[in-house]
Amino acid sequence: MEILTLQNICFSYGKVPVLKDVNYRFETGKMYCIIGRSGAGKTTLLSLLSGLAKPDGGSILYDGKDVAKLDKYAFRSKYIGVIFQSFNLLTKFTAVENVMLSMDIAGVKGKNKRQRAMELLAGVGLDEDEANRRVLKLSGGQQQRVAIARALSYDPQIILADEPTGNLDGETQKEIMDIFRSLAQQGKCVILVSHSPEVAAACDEKYELQKLSGKKEPKEKAAS
Amino acid sequence: MYLFKNALKCIGRAKGRNILIGIIALVIAVSACIGLSIRQAAESAKAETLEGMSVTAKISFDRQSAMQGMRPSADGASGGTQSGAFDREQFRTLMNGGTSLTLDEYQTYAAAESVQDFYYTLTAYFDGSDELEPVSSESETESESSAGAPGGGMSPGRTKGDRMGNMATGDFTVIGYSGDNAMTAFQTGSTTIADGVVFSEGTTERQCLISEELAAYNELAVGDTVTLANPDSETETYTLTVAGIYKNTEANDLSVSMFGVGQDPANQIYLSAAALQGILDASASASETTTDAATGQETETAVGSSLSATYVFADADAYHRFEEEVRTLGLDDSYTVSSADLTAFENSLTPLNTLSTMAGWFLLVILLIGAVILIVLNIFNIRERKYEIGVLTAMGMKKGKVALQFLAEILVVTMAAILIGAGIGAVSAVPVTNALLANQVESQQSSQLQLENNFGRGGNFKGGLQTAPDNLPTGGRGGFAALGQNVSNYVTEVNSAMNLTVLLQLLGIGLLLTLAAGAVSVLFVMRYDPLKILANRD
Ligand SMILES: Nc1ncnc2c1ncn2[C@@H]1O[C@H](COP(=O)(O)OP(=O)(O)O)[C@@H](O)[C@H]1O
Ligand SMILES: [Mg+2]
Repeated sequence: MEILTLQNICFSYGKVPVLKDVNYRFETGKMYCIIGRSGAGKTTLLSLLSGLAKPDGGSILYDGKDVAKLDKYAFRSKYIGVIFQSFNLLTKFTAVENVMLSMDIAGVKGKNKRQRAMELLAGVGLDEDEANRRVLKLSGGQQQRVAIARALSYDPQIILADEPTGNLDGETQKEIMDIFRSLAQQGKCVILVSHSPEVAAACDEKYELQKLSGKKEPKEKAAS
Repeated sequence: MYLFKNALKCIGRAKGRNILIGIIALVIAVSACIGLSIRQAAESAKAETLEGMSVTAKISFDRQSAMQGMRPSADGASGGTQSGAFDREQFRTLMNGGTSLTLDEYQTYAAAESVQDFYYTLTAYFDGSDELEPVSSESETESESSAGAPGGGMSPGRTKGDRMGNMATGDFTVIGYSGDNAMTAFQTGSTTIADGVVFSEGTTERQCLISEELAAYNELAVGDTVTLANPDSETETYTLTVAGIYKNTEANDLSVSMFGVGQDPANQIYLSAAALQGILDASASASETTTDAATGQETETAVGSSLSATYVFADADAYHRFEEEVRTLGLDDSYTVSSADLTAFENSLTPLNTLSTMAGWFLLVILLIGAVILIVLNIFNIRERKYEIGVLTAMGMKKGKVALQFLAEILVVTMAAILIGAGIGAVSAVPVTNALLANQVESQQSSQLQLENNFGRGGNFKGGLQTAPDNLPTGGRGGFAALGQNVSNYVTEVNSAMNLTVLLQLLGIGLLLTLAAGAVSVLFVMRYDPLKILANRD
């Protein structure tokens, strides 16, 4: 089932164009990789997908509806789970508090939020002690797991992850990729953004994002 | 609701910052609390006193304005004289007792709607007789030898135009009261009956009250008779029956006797005004008028008297209405209506009012400085939390909610500080107010004393004399009470300063400061773009 569609997306920071005529389609139950060199505009694209920025041209459709017409806060907090490159966790809060706050913002109903948050954290490989630790005192890999648990907390259809393996060691990388794989198997649409060919190889489909030169003309088409 | 949970969590996670804000808010709260308490204390002191106070007033002749009227004006069109020369005769009449209102006139004004009660006293001076000697602290011989002294036996016959007029001095001050309500000393309990009873109200029977001292000095008891003589005509005597013996519960001022034995409270004889009027009428009909050949001045022997009428009002408002009403009832502009107790009351509040005004300014300054500090602190606070704002909005929390959460955080901290501040304020407001008030009273007194010294009235004696003529008829004592009032009757203590009003005002101030500081945070939150904040972190 097609859940997310990008139609002719264009975006520029001021006069500097970053994205031009991007046409991607994403389906549930699949794992995608958007690959590109550093500075190609991967993070920018992810910002557009998560509603943090609006495209200058083209449209993003979520389940056939134009995201621009949806409440961006609701979209961000309910329909799409984003794992930012720098995680963007509240460092003074504990892991479980971060997850619970995310549920609160999404308006998740139910009494056992703490228990559910603990289960989610356990699911991404954090024990109880780590779950109750302030994020500041967790390692990069552990923070990555908290960010994933947080993205899953309100059970969105789409999971976006920006450089999910960026600064992790090989073993941890593999564990994290396994988590994403299992999410795709559960029927979610998993979109990973990465410069790593290894990550791309582990995905079902990949889109290559070309870095635009200072001018509007794209330089080389087949660079990977 | 998670918003408030989150706010509380955030306060707990940033203790240092919030303690700093809290301490500043606490300082503001305590100062504001004390400032407000002082203002409140001044308000309630005024209200309380005014509530229980029935105001009394007198109508008196205004010499100042009368003389103004007589003085020839520059264009010579003065109402008093046409020639421009000073009219001595008119001046004498003005300065004389003749200018005081008659009982009938007083009663006309008593009919004014605002008047709650009306009474008057008649005062006359008599000499004693062989079996009735005045109590005197001076030795007998000394008293006799100083015949020229005001208290001693005056030479018979005084001129009509004399400064003291027909208010001659004798050994005894005889005071006639129009009714029980006129006997203020008995009303307040500063004088009580030791033996016998007070003559019945309004009686024409010549029944009197004498002091314990006088009774002991002359070995008199209830039921005995005493004989008073006209100081100007020794053969003209009046016999009174002693109905009761009174005692002063308040200590006598020893200096009092220096005004003459007649002024000594021990030598005051009380009776009903009707009875005294009877005596005065009898004296008037027995009066002889002689004319001095040399000066052509007329002298009469009738016992003179002075009348003092007092109007009682339910409250200060009624008194102020009365001031208007008497004019429509025809009171001339050369008479003034004045209320000694209202004036005393206003004077008594001077230090407290001064303090209250100062507290008001202090409060304003504290609030302005406090608001500025809180706003600046909050700006730093918000800038520091930029990242947090970015994360929260990126997570889908609406900016309004983020702003609200931040507002809630400041609100909780400042309100907690204000509650603690109110507690500290409640404990310290009364002692602080009283300490400040004591200071204020002291400076007020010393400046007043300085003023009196400048005028050469350093001893409070003459100050007393100045007020004495107005108050004399109430029994001499009034004059001496006024003497004390001038210097020391300030409200020097408040017993409750903090109340619900202050607490509510304080909460209002807290809310105002919080909103001022919070508005800044809202502005900042609304301005921030999560994308930029988070991008900067990369
Ligand atoms: N906030 C910004 N303002 C201006 N230019 C930006 C901003 N963020 C990114 N860029 C520029 O846009 C381009 C794409 O950046 P980004 O999306 O972060 O690339 P990637 O994530 O692929 O490394 C880069 O050239 C970067 O310098
Ligand atoms: Mg990037």
